[in-house]
This record gives sequence, C-alpha cells and structure tokens, in this order.
Amino acid sequence: MAFYDRMMSIDRRIIFLSVALAVAIPLLRPLGFPVQVSEEVRSFYRELEPLKEGDIILLSFDYEGDVMAELNPMSEAVLNHVFPKGVKVVALTTYAGGTGIAERLLDEAAEAYGKTYGEDYVFLGYNPDWSGTILRLGESFKATYPTDQYATRMADIPLMEEVETYKDIEMIVSIAGSALSEYWAIWAGGRYGVKVISGNTAIQAILIYPYYQAGQISGFLGGLKGAAEYERLIERPGMGIRGMDAQSIAHALMLVFILIGNIGYFMVRRQQARLKRKE
Amino acid sequence: MKKQGPIAVAFLVGFLMLVQFFTPNPFFLKLYNWVLDWKQVVLGCTFILGTWSLIRYHLTKIQRRKENWQYSYVTLIGLMVTVVSAGIWKTASGPYPWLFNNIQVPMQSTMFSLLAFFVASASYRAFRARTVHATLLLVAGALVMLGRVPIGNYIRGEVFGVEISLVAISDWVLNVPNLAAKRGIMIGVGLGMSATAIKIILGIEKTYLGRSD
Repeated sequence: MAFYDRMMSIDRRIIFLSVALAVAIPLLRPLGFPVQVSEEVRSFYRELEPLKEGDIILLSFDYEGDVMAELNPMSEAVLNHVFPKGVKVVALTTYAGGTGIAERLLDEAAEAYGKTYGEDYVFLGYNPDWSGTILRLGESFKATYPTDQYATRMADIPLMEEVETYKDIEMIVSIAGSALSEYWAIWAGGRYGVKVISGNTAIQAILIYPYYQAGQISGFLGGLKGAAEYERLIERPGMGIRGMDAQSIAHALMLVFILIGNIGYFMVRRQQARLKRKE
Repeated sequence: MKKQGPIAVAFLVGFLMLVQFFTPNPFFLKLYNWVLDWKQVVLGCTFILGTWSLIRYHLTKIQRRKENWQYSYVTLIGLMVTVVSAGIWKTASGPYPWLFNNIQVPMQSTMFSLLAFFVASASYRAFRARTVHATLLLVAGALVMLGRVPIGNYIRGEVFGVEISLVAISDWVLNVPNLAAKRGIMIGVGLGMSATAIKIILGIEKTYLGRSD
C-alpha cells in the first residue's frame, strides 16, 4: 500500500529536477528526432515562397520577452526566408516590450543579408492602441505612424513612399503570443481583404484552427514545433529544430509521471475495494 | 444630465460607427478615421494616467510602510532609470537596450519558463482518471502532447490493415472536436458581444458609467 501511495505523491522537487534535466540534456546533446512538416506550416511556407524581389510584407512582432524562446525562431525564420529573395519588410510591434526584440532581430538579419534601413526594411515601432492601429493602417500607414521608431518622418523613408494602405503590401505576418493574430485576421483581413498568416505559441495555436480552416488565416506556425517545421522547409536549421528534442523528451516525461500517478491511483483504489469487501 | 450626457455620446458614437461599416460614404469614412485618430490619442493619455497611478500607489506604500514596502523602491527606481535612459540616449543605443536585453527579457523568460515546472507538477497531480470525463480529457491531452512533438512520429501501426499514426490522431483531435468546441464558443461570444454592444448603444447597459454615488 505504501508503495502505491508513494506513486501518487512523488515529491515535487523530483519532478522539477527531472523536467530541468529533460530540457537541458537534449539542448546540450541533440538527439536529432525527425521533424515532419504539417499542412498548416506548408501553407504558411507556400504563401511566402512565391514572393519576389520588391514585394512588401508587413511583419508584426506581437509578443514580448516571456514567449521569446518560442516565437523568436519563427521571426528569425521569416526574415531568413524573405530577405534573401529581396522582399521588403515593414515591421511594427503591438507590445511595448516587443520593440527591443524587433530591433534586435531586424538588425541581425539586415546585417546578415546586407539590407539597408529605410530602403529594404523599416521599423515603425510601437503604438499603444493595437485595435486602432490595425484598423487605421487600412486607411493610411502615414496617418497611423507619422514617424518610425527613430522619429524619422515617413516622407523621409524611401520604402514608405511605396506603402499607403494594406493594398500596397502582399500580406501580414503576425508572430503573436496572444490573440493578436485573430484580430489581424478579423479586422485587417475581414475589412480590408489583406492576406494574413501567423506564428503562434503552442497554447494560442489551438485557437487559430477555426480561422485557418475558414481561410481567414492562410497558414500558421504552431509553437516551437511549427518553427522547427518551417526551418526545415526553408533549409535553415535554427533554435526551433534544436528545441524540438527537448520538447519531445519533456512531453514524454510528463506523460510518464501522469502514468505513474494513475497506476498508483488504480492500485490504491483496488486495494481499498478489496479491504471493504473483507470487512 | 450626469448620466444622460454619456449615454447620449455612447449612442451617437456607437450608432455612427455601426452605420459607417455598411456605407462607403466619404463623410462616414472621414468620421471613422477621425474617431480612430482620437482613440489613439486617448489610449496614449491612459499611459500617462497609468504611470501616475503606479507612482502614487508605490509612494503611498513607502510612506505608510505597508508590507513589502522595500520592493516599491525597486519599482520606482526601475521606472525612473528606464524612462530617463530612453529619454537621454534614445531606445536604439546606450543603457536602454542593455536594460531590456539583460534585465527585462531574462526576468520575463524566467517567469514564463517556470510554468513548465508547475505544469509538470500540476498535471501529475490533477490528471487522474477518476471519472469518464476526466479520462477523456486525460486521453485527449496525452494524444495531443505526444502527437505534437517529433517523438510522436515513431508511434504508428496497422489496425485492421489500415495504417494509423499518433500524429494523425492528434491532428484529428485538434481539427475536429477542438475546432467544433472552439467554433461554438466563438459564435456564442460573438452573439454575446453584439447583444452587449446593442444594449450599450441603446442605453440599457449602463455599468460602464460606474456607480451612481
């Protein structure tokens, strides 16, 4: 009886230590589990792949530092996919904490591909009113953002001469740790007819399926797995693929703990029933 | 008048914004853009109000030596240092990006990654097959957890001559039962939001005005 009781009440410190090891070891020594590409990620890739030199996309960094580990690989992969093609990027963020993330990723990618700020990409910065921003961009980019993140007037940015409304961009790519992708689809996609694709945390991705099936979101990356699949498609392995081993082992470990708890639960219940019958 | 004024404003703005959605009339388009511009201005002002409230709350806490008052100094100093460094050196260089990359980002990431440990511990304790519903949740959770990671690719086999993989089952759970439930909730929420909006426009729902005293 005591053994089965122990199965039901493993010390949380043992669980914490096991999770830490399950995540750390595969990150240090990758196991190389194969990554299979899902249909939603293939759709995401299919939207970006035909873009050609001079096309413009709007990339929205809809997240902060908390979900960076899950979403940064997606943003990096998108930039690694579009910059070599000569696609121009108009970036913004709907989170105050997103400015630092966006600046870092854009600068790193721009340096790697020799892109010029203002001509090949621009960072509009953060606007506190995300709902107003999504709607107002459909009428005028310049009225929504009179200046970019660095207080340069829109008239002085060559790239922004080509962009007046959503009609001038190919699509919106929303990398989001919240419901922002849904709002881009509802307001920008619904009202202005612009194509929306998204990258979302694994938790949020569950909520994207209805939009994807209805065609309101043309493709999406779900969690680190989505990032890993996309990295595989663009043939640029990054943190997504490296993190997949750790996530696999951590998920398997959690299921083992759940299984142990349930075996203990059923054995204790069986023994209690047996004792009752004897009485 | 204290109540009638805001109700009249809500009715007018709500009604005009509703109408503009269905008409391409230039007057309504101009009005729509004007309201959106003002919305951004108002939202910007709420940041000033929020910052002032935060400062006042923590100053009061320090003055009255309330529990954990020492941490209020951390909040206020952190706020001042961030604002001043962004004001003097701008956001692209100087101490501001350093503060962001070396303090804010690690703290946010740490807080979020702690969830992995608590979720593991909580799921071990809570996921027990006590009832039929709990068992269904447990099975669906297990299928999706394994099906959404590469290790799930290895779990496949033949049942009555048909090849079945865990990934395919996991995809079915997400695309059929999950989608049906989510869509039902979304339709319900949408109808609820429309009903509440109509009630606010017509002045039936007045809780946004605050208490009458």
